[in-house]
This record gives sequence, structure tokens and C-alpha cells, in this order.
Amino acid sequence: MNFHLTEMQQMIVDSARRFVAAETGIDQWRDRRQSENGVDQKLWQAMTELGWLGLAVPDDAGGLGGSMEDVALLMMELGKGLVTEPLVSTGILAAHILDKTLEGETRSTWLGRVATGEARIALAYEDPTAVGLALLTAQALPDGYVLNGPKIMVHDAPSADYVIILAQLDGAPALFIADARAVGISANCYPLIDGSRAADLRFSNVALPMDALLATGQKAQDILEESLDRARLAIVSQAVGAMDATVGITTDYSKERQQFGQPISKFQAIQHLATDMFTAAYQARSALYAGLCAVQAPPEQRRRATSVAKLIAGLSSQTVSRNGIQIHGGYGITDEYAVSHYYRRLLVLEKQYGGNDEHVGLLAQAEMQS
Amino acid sequence: MNFQFEQAASEFRDHVRQRIAEILPQDIKDRNCRILGMSCNGEDQRRWLAAMDAEGWSVPAWPVQYGGTGWTAMQRFIFEDEMYAADAPEFNWIGSHMVGPVLYTFGSEAQRERFLPPIRDGRELWAQGFSEPGAGSDLASLRTHARLEGDTYVVNGSKIWTSGGHEADWLFCLVKTDTTGKAQQSVSCLLIDLRSPGITIRPIRQINNEAHVCEVFLDNVVVPVENLVGQEGAGWTYAKFLLEHERTTSSFIFWIKRELARTRELGRTFLRNGRPAIENSYWAGRVAFIAAQVEAHEWSVLRVLSEEANDYPLSACASVLKLVGSDLQQQITNIQVDLLGDHALRDYGEDQHPPSTDPIWPDIVQGRTSRALMACATTIYGGSQQIQKNLIAKFALGL
Repeated sequence: MNFHLTEMQQMIVDSARRFVAAETGIDQWRDRRQSENGVDQKLWQAMTELGWLGLAVPDDAGGLGGSMEDVALLMMELGKGLVTEPLVSTGILAAHILDKTLEGETRSTWLGRVATGEARIALAYEDPTAVGLALLTAQALPDGYVLNGPKIMVHDAPSADYVIILAQLDGAPALFIADARAVGISANCYPLIDGSRAADLRFSNVALPMDALLATGQKAQDILEESLDRARLAIVSQAVGAMDATVGITTDYSKERQQFGQPISKFQAIQHLATDMFTAAYQARSALYAGLCAVQAPPEQRRRATSVAKLIAGLSSQTVSRNGIQIHGGYGITDEYAVSHYYRRLLVLEKQYGGNDEHVGLLAQAEMQS
Repeated sequence: MNFQFEQAASEFRDHVRQRIAEILPQDIKDRNCRILGMSCNGEDQRRWLAAMDAEGWSVPAWPVQYGGTGWTAMQRFIFEDEMYAADAPEFNWIGSHMVGPVLYTFGSEAQRERFLPPIRDGRELWAQGFSEPGAGSDLASLRTHARLEGDTYVVNGSKIWTSGGHEADWLFCLVKTDTTGKAQQSVSCLLIDLRSPGITIRPIRQINNEAHVCEVFLDNVVVPVENLVGQEGAGWTYAKFLLEHERTTSSFIFWIKRELARTRELGRTFLRNGRPAIENSYWAGRVAFIAAQVEAHEWSVLRVLSEEANDYPLSACASVLKLVGSDLQQQITNIQVDLLGDHALRDYGEDQHPPSTDPIWPDIVQGRTSRALMACATTIYGGSQQIQKNLIAKFALGL
């Protein structure tokens, strides 16, 4: 095991720290609620110039060819600054799907556009569970496909140029890519509690060309799952960063805040709440490392390690964010203090790409079958 | 010991349930069902209080001579249970549970005549001016002070976490009237008109987008000396009286039972993987665990209400109620958030949306996360978890 940072990794961490210090903070977090689609174009531009969109894009397609460890290092720093720009959906999730499903010049072109930040891509894979709603289906036509049905909770759809869609094609899963503004796509956009955005999409006779189809059947399923696992580790990394930051601001607060004639940090009860936070954040980072270690492992092992990382990070997030507010007292539930922003972001990160209950369910199934 | 509820109790329950259903306006009930924060709006509260007052039921715990119902503690318990179950607005707790009892116990006849009737019928809503930016858990260190000048007090300072301050008419305020003595002998209780010149109220934006709690700034606010409650310097005694007078409100048992019912409704109606969530033993198990704790908590409330004689002072038992209740409020709101999965992440903003026509977003979704976010405060206000534990350690265990 080697925890030393390479030169490139140190550069990534340093530039991310500078970015977070200069560009993020409570005013920025509150301002983004007012933004039209959740993306600050200036920040997006800065991120692409720093090469972050291309970090996970293979270098034979115009990217930096970074590893998931490199991604994790970047994401941990950005997590500290509560960055919600759609780096993960475009630069990790979509990038990996396109990398694994496309070939030749098509692949290079698409990945090149991802790396330059020119194309933002969201993934529409969640089905509604309301009774009576049909699933999204694709019908093959002589010259292409036509899509009908809904997809919900599409993270970062409101700012996306393209959307990768999971649809049923002849009863099997299939992945398509489409222009987000294609004729027939309607969107119900809404903000999430951390200022990021999502949408429910409805496809009505959306006509797509032949080359819109990326993959079908088991291949589509496997690539989707592999890509989602990478996205999960990326957001777990953000959560680890956010947890570390929460521990920091909370201990700082406790040293400043005086009651009963002394800083509240002197009270053992407060100290123990804070150490519970520290311990939880420590464990989350460990689980992340275990997950990163399994990125290239056989699918079953990778799946399991990713669910462990997601679950432990999710549980730790609860301890860290709840104790963080408790130590802040009344100020913890105000919008004015940073800790409530960390609470909301950590809640989003826990539930995105499967919450604690889903991942413990997957692990439980494995236990029952063993 | 006799743990059986009498027949009369269940007849009383049927009676109040029916009457509440007859009196509660549907529009108020609809809004309150879908409330986004912890408190309903002031207008609904006033209308409901007026309706309850017409029934004679708006201040059940007060002595009959001041408008109370003369019910037993058990009957009052049943009545409140039914009020919450019916999604009726909460009473203006500061008025009915704090100002009222302090005035009819320690106040002057003039104060009772002036202030008790408008509390009863909802014409005047009250807010609490206790905490300050520098005086949270350490309330005794409060610094807002009142200087006697002729027949008025001139008040300077600021209060914080004043719930509903922007909708209230009057402030029940703890102030220092003496800077020389011990904290506990130098605090007084003043009744302050929130329309007085020199008062600035700043709603504070909360984690759930609401701005219900307020900061109240008092800049040379003139208060008639008739608005001093009881004796100067006795404010701390009145605050302690309130803690002894009202032991079970902080249990939030009725709120908890209502939210448990809502949790079960959510489990039955919200689908996960195509089936009602409650059919998954993971959710059923979590709900069962919470439900059992709620049932035990209800009995804890009844024990304190009945002033069960045991080896421990009732004040310590009251701390148990607050400790357990606030934690249950969080457990229940958090399981609702978890049940919703990523649907819990949507930010509905600060205003209630009209009833939903979108099957993807049923009505029950809105408000769940907002309430869970605000429930972070339950373990902080009214004496934090840490303070309550200290009190139990000291008064129950002698530690």
C-alpha cells in the first residue's frame, strides 16, 4: 500500500485546493440557488481549463488518463468546497459509458467533447415506481429508434446538452445517447436541497438515428453498472472531503463559542460528539480506499467493495453531519452557518446512486446467498 | 396500581374526536397536513384558537375561572392526542403554556384581565424572548437589560431563536433589571408589545428554507412598568415555575404519534421497486423498532402526568421525556426521508405547493425532508441533549 502522492496527484490536489479557496464558500453556495440551471458557467470553464473534465478520459481520446485514485483525490478536495457542478455525471459516469461502448473516431470525438467541457451529459436510468406508469421503451425502426416513456430523477439534466438513456429494447436493457433538447423530450426540472438540479424526463415519440444506440443486453447492463460504481466512488470521495471539512469547522466553532464562562470545547460531552465525528470520517475514508482498490477487480468483488464504501460513507455522513449541527447549537440550523450546507450536501450524496438502504440490501442479499 | 383506562375515558375520546372533526375547517386541516416546517401560519392558528375558544376548549389546562375546562390530566392528554391526530394547528404554546400560567399565578389582576382573554381566543399571539446570541444553554448569562425610568422600563439588547416573532403581537421577555447581584436574582419578566418603537424583528433563514425563528433587536424600547410580571428580580423563579408546571409538553408525544401514523401511511403508499415500501422487511423492521419506542414513550409521559411516586424527582423524569422525545422526533422524520429514497432530495422551497397531480410526486412527499431538516433542532432547543443528560445525572443519580 502506498499513500504517497505522485507529482500529478499533488498538482491535482493543490489546484483543487486553490480553486476551492478562491471560488467556493457560503455566498457561492447560496447564490447558486438563484442560477438558472445549477451550473456557474465561469466555474465550469475554470474546471475544464484545469483539465478536470478530462481527468478520467483515456489519454488516447484527449484526456489525462487518470486513475480512480486521481479522481478520488480531486473529488475529496471539491467535496470540502461543496462543489455541485456536474463533474461526476459528465466526466466520470458518461465518460466511462462512452469509453466502453464506442470505438474509433466516434469514441474519440465524444470523449474529446467531454474533456473540453463542451458537452455536458446526464444519465437517465431511474424508472418511476408509481403505479400505472409504463417503463421507457425503445422501438426499432428501419432507420433508427423511437423512444416512449418516463425517466425520473435525472441528476444534472437541466444543464445537460446530451442525455444517456437506459431503455427497454425488445425486452432487454439498452443504452442510447440523445440530444437533451431533441423533439419529444419534455422535462420537469427541480432543484435539490444542495442547490444542484435534477429533472423528470418524458419521451414522446423521440426519434433517434441508428448510431444513437450505444449498447444492448448484458453488455449494456455491465457497462452501466461499472460506470455507476465509478460515479459512486467519486461521490463517496466528495462525501469524505465534506465530512473532513465538517469536522474542521465544527471543532473550530466549539473553540470559539463560549458558554458557562468557557469555550464549549472544554466540555467532555462536546469533545465526545466531535471525536465520534472524527472516527466516522476516518472509517469512511478507509472504506473509500477499499473501494478504490477494487475498481479493476472482477465485477462481483468491485460491486461489493463499492457498496461497502457507499454504505459506510453514508452512515458516517449521518454521524458527522448530525453531530456537527448539534455542536453548533441553534446556529447549526441556520442557513447563515456553513454546517447546515454540509448537512444537506451529505444527505444528497448519501442518497444519490443508491442510498444506505439500497446498498445494505445488496450486501444482505449476498449474505443470504452465501 | 391500576393500568386500565376507564370506559369514561374512551367515551370522552370519541366525544372530542367527533367535535374536533365538526369544528376544524377543512382548509386549515389541508394546509396543516402538508405543513413544511414545524409551525402552522399565524392566521390559521388564530382562526383555530377562535373556534376552540367558542367551544371553551382553547386553554384546557387553565383554572376554570380563567377559561379552563376543568378536565383531568388524562382528559387533557386525550384531547391533545386527538387534536394532533386530526392535523389541527398547534395552540400558541407560548401564550397558553407560559404567559397564561405565569400571569394567573404571579401576575396582577390588571394583567390577567388585559392579557388572558386575547390568549384564549387567539386575538393575540405570543413569542418568547429568552435566548440571546451569547446566552443559549447558559441562559443565566443573558444581557438584555431594562433600566427603570420613572414609570417605564427602557429595554436594550437582543433575543434570538424567537419562533414566530414576525407573526406575534407580544413578547414574553426575560431581562436583567439588576447588574449587581447574582444572575438568578437579577432577572425580571417583562411583557413587551412587539409593535413598540425600537423593535426590529429579523426572520432567520433556516436549514429548510423557512424563516420562522427570529432575532429581535430592542433599541431603547419603552415598556410601561405595569408590564413587569410580579416582582423585579423574580424572573428566574417564574422560569423555574414553568419547568415544574409543564413537564410533558417537551415530550412531543402527540406530534410523534401523528408522525408515526404518517410514516406508516408512507410505507403503505410509497412504492420502492414496484411494491409498497413496508413490504420490505428492512423498512418494516425499522418502523417496528421505532413504534415500540413510541409506545414506551407514551407510557413515560403518562407516568409523569400522573405524578407517579418514585425515588426520582419529577424534574429528572421530565428530562427523560425531553431526551427521548426529541430523539424520536428525529428517528421518525429521518426514516420518512429514507423511505422516500432519492425522492427525498427534492427542494420544494419555502411555500406549500398546490395538491399534486403528478403520480411521480404524490402529496405526501412534500414536507417530509423539510421537517426532517428542521427536526435537527429538537435535540437543541428547550434544553439540549447534553443539558438534559446533565440534569438527569445530577437530580436522578446524584452524580
